[in-house]
Amino acid sequence: MADAKKPRAPFAPWDRRELPGLFSVEESARRVGAYKWCELKLFEALGGWIATVPELDVKMRLGAHCYKHAWHAELWHKRLPELREMNPDRLTVAPNEHMVCFIEALTEPEAPELTIEKLVGVYRVFIPHFISAYTFHLNNTSDITDAPTMRSLRFILQDEFEDWRDGEMLIQSLIETPAEVDRAAAHQARLEKILLAAGGITGSGTIGFSTPEHEGAIA
Amino acid sequence: MRKFFPVEDLARDERFNQITMNDRMADQRTVITTDSRPSRAANRIVPSRGDASDAARGLMHGIFVGEIQALEGAGRTCWDFTTGEEAPFELKLDMARQCWDEARHVEISVKLSDWMGSEIGEYAENTVLFQAACSNDPVLRLAGVNRALEGLAIDVFTTMKEFGEVAGDQYLEFAEDWMLADEVTHVKMGSDWLRKITEDDPERRKKALDFQSVVDKLFSYGGTRSESQESPIGLARRFRELAGFDDQEIDVIAKLSLAALEERKAAVLEAQAAHN
Amino acid sequence: MTVEVTPSTFTYVYFDSAYIARIAQRLIGLFGLENHNIRVDINETTPLAKMRIEFGDPIVINIQSGAFEDFSRPRQQSESATTQSLGRILLKVRDRLSPEFANAPADKDLTLVQVAIWETYCVARLSRHDIDINRQRWLYNFRNRHGFNDASDRAFEKIWNSNDLTWEQLQNISDNALALVQ
Ligand SMILES: [Fe+2]
Ligand SMILES: [Fe+2]
Repeated sequence: MADAKKPRAPFAPWDRRELPGLFSVEESARRVGAYKWCELKLFEALGGWIATVPELDVKMRLGAHCYKHAWHAELWHKRLPELREMNPDRLTVAPNEHMVCFIEALTEPEAPELTIEKLVGVYRVFIPHFISAYTFHLNNTSDITDAPTMRSLRFILQDEFEDWRDGEMLIQSLIETPAEVDRAAAHQARLEKILLAAGGITGSGTIGFSTPEHEGAIA
Repeated sequence: MRKFFPVEDLARDERFNQITMNDRMADQRTVITTDSRPSRAANRIVPSRGDASDAARGLMHGIFVGEIQALEGAGRTCWDFTTGEEAPFELKLDMARQCWDEARHVEISVKLSDWMGSEIGEYAENTVLFQAACSNDPVLRLAGVNRALEGLAIDVFTTMKEFGEVAGDQYLEFAEDWMLADEVTHVKMGSDWLRKITEDDPERRKKALDFQSVVDKLFSYGGTRSESQESPIGLARRFRELAGFDDQEIDVIAKLSLAALEERKAAVLEAQAAHN
Repeated sequence: MTVEVTPSTFTYVYFDSAYIARIAQRLIGLFGLENHNIRVDINETTPLAKMRIEFGDPIVINIQSGAFEDFSRPRQQSESATTQSLGRILLKVRDRLSPEFANAPADKDLTLVQVAIWETYCVARLSRHDIDINRQRWLYNFRNRHGFNDASDRAFEKIWNSNDLTWEQLQNISDNALALVQ
């Protein structure tokens, strides 16, 4: 286009971004605060477990993944003031008591024989829930107003997918007997039930369903 | 999972055998030679040593297990302290970053050990490094681990890098140089956090620095690391400067290491006199 | 022939002299050295791993304790290390006794390169007696003396696969490898 004066539409014909989004500034900040809290708890746990797992390959993977989740927590920490939360600690909280219980149950295994449980909690329960929560946010926030969150979500989701695959492969390689399949499934079910009560990473409505009937699921 | 993990419980597979500093001290034999002939006075791990390749393999295995413990120590600092109250969020982010770096260092040292023909567990694992990471004050941990332990790592990697350079082993030289870059960063983390957290708490700072010199002394045990050619590992002044140590601090470590070397030599002479 | 091990009991290390004698006996049989009296003197005051031969009757092998040690369990004896170290030095004894090695320099005059080629040759033959050897360790040792390059690796390969070299042939292989990169 040689004519510098010729008007041009602000949105190119292929740019289909829309203004409306599901989240207010406050709701976005609340979710981001919960993300930060959960990523923080996850990287702390991964760091703590490194010394407790005898499998060398797992030990090293946990070290690498620990950093990735710390970086996610850092991205959310930096996003909070941009969402009008000048005291990021105020929103760095669990969405509810059930989530606190979940972290307690997740980080309970310590013995060197419990690598399967440690990995199942992270890679078959927690990370799939991160993927759901982040995907829901990405698909429902405003393409225009919340673009900085979306950029972080995309980076983070890329990590989550890769780490989930790493973790799942480690779990599959560690499970050698039907009894171990049962062990993994039982631990997964136990944790999943607590998360059901929590409603997900950001509490009820994490992926759009307000689910009061989930309350009491672990009663 | 407990807060504060005892060194005895570090999880290892059956290939590893762990020993403590006490086990090492119980060994009355010594590698420090008291032979005064000039050709024998050098213990520095250099290719011109008769047992160069075996000495380098032993040191590389020491690096390998040291990296595992550094990884575990940094990870424990992420877990053991309450974020915000006991340890700042940003400090934990640094420790998580260190976890990733140390995990890569373990990977690098496994590859290098393969290259040199060593097997995992071929040598004993001295758990002294993790012990320095067990303090219940995060500042002491940073002083003991990031400044003393990682400082030693700088000395070790410099010695190994030079070994590769002289032997024409580019594979070794390349990898050591990359690890060296990371370790300089880790020491700097320690120096920066120590300064920041104890800014208004001179007593805590003194305690941390005292702890660091205890750990430095421990790592200089028997004169393993000093500026003398009699020590297997040198003191890497230039890289230590990059990492935020000032001249005076380096001088102190140099003096301390030489003293440890002299102490050991005297003990050896005494033992030999008793034996003869 | 006799095999003697000294000291008979150890103070600084947990070694077993009868056990060492049994391993030595087996290797002596394997290498056809039965006609010689051999004494193994262990210097237990150092963890280094040097070995030295003194020819006479008996043939005396001086060994520093590190040569028999299990490095993962300090001061404990390792069967594998004992076998490998004794095997290496006994093959060297056999070489020294043969006319093919008549021109090899005295031990004190051997250069580091010469030490490496001879060691490689000994270990390679040892590995063919069903004794567990980490080939990479010796390749690395050889490379440290001949350079990290293809010529060096080819020379190693040649020595590793040989059984009846003379000292001159051994020296030639090494010289050629070094000449190619200079
Ligand atoms: Fe490291
Ligand atoms: Fe480090």
